[in-house]
Amino acid sequence: MPMKSSDFIVATHSLHKAYRVGEEEVEVLKDVNLNVSRGEFVAICGPSGSGKTTLLNIISGIDRPTSGQILVLDQDLAVQDEDFLAEFRCSNVGFVFQSYNLVSTLTVAENVAFPMEWIRKPEAEIEKRVAELLETVGLQHRANHFPAQLSGGEQQRVAFARALANDPELILADEPTGNLDAKNGQKITQVLQMLKASGKTVIVATHDPELMQLADRTVCLEDGRLASKNE
Amino acid sequence: MSETAFPVNDLLRRKLQTSLALVSLTVCVASTLFLLLFSDQIGFGITSAAENTLTIGYYAIFSSFLRFVGILVFAVGAVIVSFITFLMMAQRTRDFGLIKAAGCPNSLVFGYFLTELLIVLFLGCALGVALGFFTNYAVINMSTFQAYQKAPNFWYAPLVFVAFFVFGLIFGLKPLLNAARLSPTAAISPMQYFGLSEGNRFKALSKSRLTLKIASRSLFRRQSATVRIVVFLSIVFILLTVSIAGSIIANGTTATRVEKAVGKDMLLVAHKDMGSQYISLLSKFSGAKEKADFNYLDPNFAIPDAALQQLNTISGIANFEKRLVCEGQIHELMNFTYSDSETIPIGDHREADSLIVGVEPEKVLSEWFIEGQFLEKGNSSEAVVGDSIAAVMFEMPLLQSFRMQNTTLNIVGVCLDPINNGIVVFVPFEMLKSLNNVSDPNIMLVLLDSSVDRSSVIMQIQKRLADANLDLTVFELNEALEKNVGFLGAIWSVIMFLPLFSLVAATLCLIGYLVLAIDEQRQEFAVLRAMGAKPKTVLAILAVQSLIVLFSSFAVGISLGVMGTLMILMVQPVVTSFTILEIAGWLLAALFGMFLVSLWPAARFAKKPILKIMS
Repeated sequence: MPMKSSDFIVATHSLHKAYRVGEEEVEVLKDVNLNVSRGEFVAICGPSGSGKTTLLNIISGIDRPTSGQILVLDQDLAVQDEDFLAEFRCSNVGFVFQSYNLVSTLTVAENVAFPMEWIRKPEAEIEKRVAELLETVGLQHRANHFPAQLSGGEQQRVAFARALANDPELILADEPTGNLDAKNGQKITQVLQMLKASGKTVIVATHDPELMQLADRTVCLEDGRLASKNE
Repeated sequence: MSETAFPVNDLLRRKLQTSLALVSLTVCVASTLFLLLFSDQIGFGITSAAENTLTIGYYAIFSSFLRFVGILVFAVGAVIVSFITFLMMAQRTRDFGLIKAAGCPNSLVFGYFLTELLIVLFLGCALGVALGFFTNYAVINMSTFQAYQKAPNFWYAPLVFVAFFVFGLIFGLKPLLNAARLSPTAAISPMQYFGLSEGNRFKALSKSRLTLKIASRSLFRRQSATVRIVVFLSIVFILLTVSIAGSIIANGTTATRVEKAVGKDMLLVAHKDMGSQYISLLSKFSGAKEKADFNYLDPNFAIPDAALQQLNTISGIANFEKRLVCEGQIHELMNFTYSDSETIPIGDHREADSLIVGVEPEKVLSEWFIEGQFLEKGNSSEAVVGDSIAAVMFEMPLLQSFRMQNTTLNIVGVCLDPINNGIVVFVPFEMLKSLNNVSDPNIMLVLLDSSVDRSSVIMQIQKRLADANLDLTVFELNEALEKNVGFLGAIWSVIMFLPLFSLVAATLCLIGYLVLAIDEQRQEFAVLRAMGAKPKTVLAILAVQSLIVLFSSFAVGISLGVMGTLMILMVQPVVTSFTILEIAGWLLAALFGMFLVSLWPAARFAKKPILKIMS
């Protein structure tokens, strides 16, 4: 069935993803059909190994499906080349990893700035935006520190600031509170609340009940198949 | 798992790193062994062959060059081995910590990695020795080198094996011992990983470009390995500069000196036997043999005034010079010098047979490279000696005199001239004439105007000489000159060939360094790609790292190499703008080649899917 994507920021149809491990083929995603509207906050839950990270990777263009269609912002990501996907991610998708993944050779401010440098924004605009984002996540006093000098919670907040740098329409977060204690987890929840309020489309893979409560909709992945929880 | 099973499996699992270390070690050991064997068989083969053909001045330049290059080759080999083993074991600091954290005793982990080091070192050295012998056998049997062969010295094999094995062990043990001293958490921490510095010690080289920023900070973070590769590559570039620049400059200088001494585009007019003998004496430098028991003063060889008058009437002749060439015995005279009011004897009473050339000082067409000064017009008691006779017969030639046919002559200069391999003395023409009781010269050197048609002037000279019934022939000296220059060129090109292997080993080490950079920055590159960096951005960051390392070492190596070449190895070098362009061309080609090849792992890595990099 042809997909009508314009109503949705993300639309997947019959999405399959399999990995080859030695002689064996492991199917991670099976016939996943997921539509996400603009401004929607969707939580993806499911046990470890159910395919949450793989689904986020495919939506962001980091990975490709084995079969099926994936349309993000009306672009069929399965057929695009690496350079297109890189530019697409840089401008349209903000990705937050569970393990923060900041660039250790860059300071906090530089980590937030580099996605903007790639699309050649003017220097003054970058500086203004970095200051704004660090204030949003409450880390302006850490601007010149390196990631190794920050706590886990602080690093995750920098990762959020970095994901928002180019003001993307879509924010993807892979278990953003998974490595954090309750207090730091709370701060991340506040950031996500703020994103929801600003009308961003957010898809979060999580086990955190607080984040699930925040979501407009929670979908569950079980053994690679999608099962709605509270649509 | 048994104590040997772990290291073997670990080495097999890390295929790329293990094979790179093994190949680099093998190439390094092989190149050093090959160069030692090659220098011994061919290089010194040539020098010992050249000892009897080259003049002593030229021979000294060549052999000191070869010795210097040999020392550098061994030094490069030693630094490469230490770098490879350091790199190999420094990469394991984190694994060391992880295994300790899992509960394995320190001594056992140390044993695992020591076994790995010993396996790789043993295999690398053994394969290197085999490859070194094979390469030497293959190269030495090439037709170019067959004339200079000596039997190989097999003692070089254990020497290189043991020396490099010990070097490798010492430098490989250092990071292992450091890792053993660290607590598991410290070893796992990125603060220790490849010598990572404290965060606030980061220094950016550039604040504008992201690529340069990441590249420069990564280099600084990896400072321990970076300093080593820069030092190592600097030595390689010194070797390259000395070999390439030195060979080109020395070749140019020696060739120019030969050209000036013999005379470019010069003609020789003499009786055909005398002319052939003179040309053989000139070509002795490149292996020709002159006639023994030759009577230079045969009256048939005399060139009468009529010939000179004929030459005077031919237009197109720029200048000509008459010489009297003969053979004779010279006797060293003992002399004294004073130092701190002490009288020191100089010299002995040595004797030698030498070629004696009588020249008119004010008319000589040759421009010799000379220590001291040339003969003065009107002074009949002075002589200039060739460099070979100066070296074998005189202690301090410029302070000494010699006797020849009961006449005492003071030595005022030592010159480089290929004739008779430098066993020559130049004396005043008139004095030599009266000593030998002859009235005419026996050779005539003729220099033509550069603008004239050479062949027509030569034909004109031949015709005039024949018309005057003179039994004289015109010889072109260019052929002998080309032979000499070609022989020198062949010797220097052998030296230029020597650093090729070191260059290959250096390139492999640079690749090893970039593999280390990729390994260390793997996660960061994955994140950059996930955040929107194109594969070419990753390639650019790695290329900048390679360029910074290469340029730093290039700058140091070239500066020291040029200083060494010009100040230590050559006196008064002849350096033209073409020489500089030629040297720059070769060195830049080496630099560019190394840079391109070093990008191979980076290009391979940049193409990988993001998830594969992250996994």
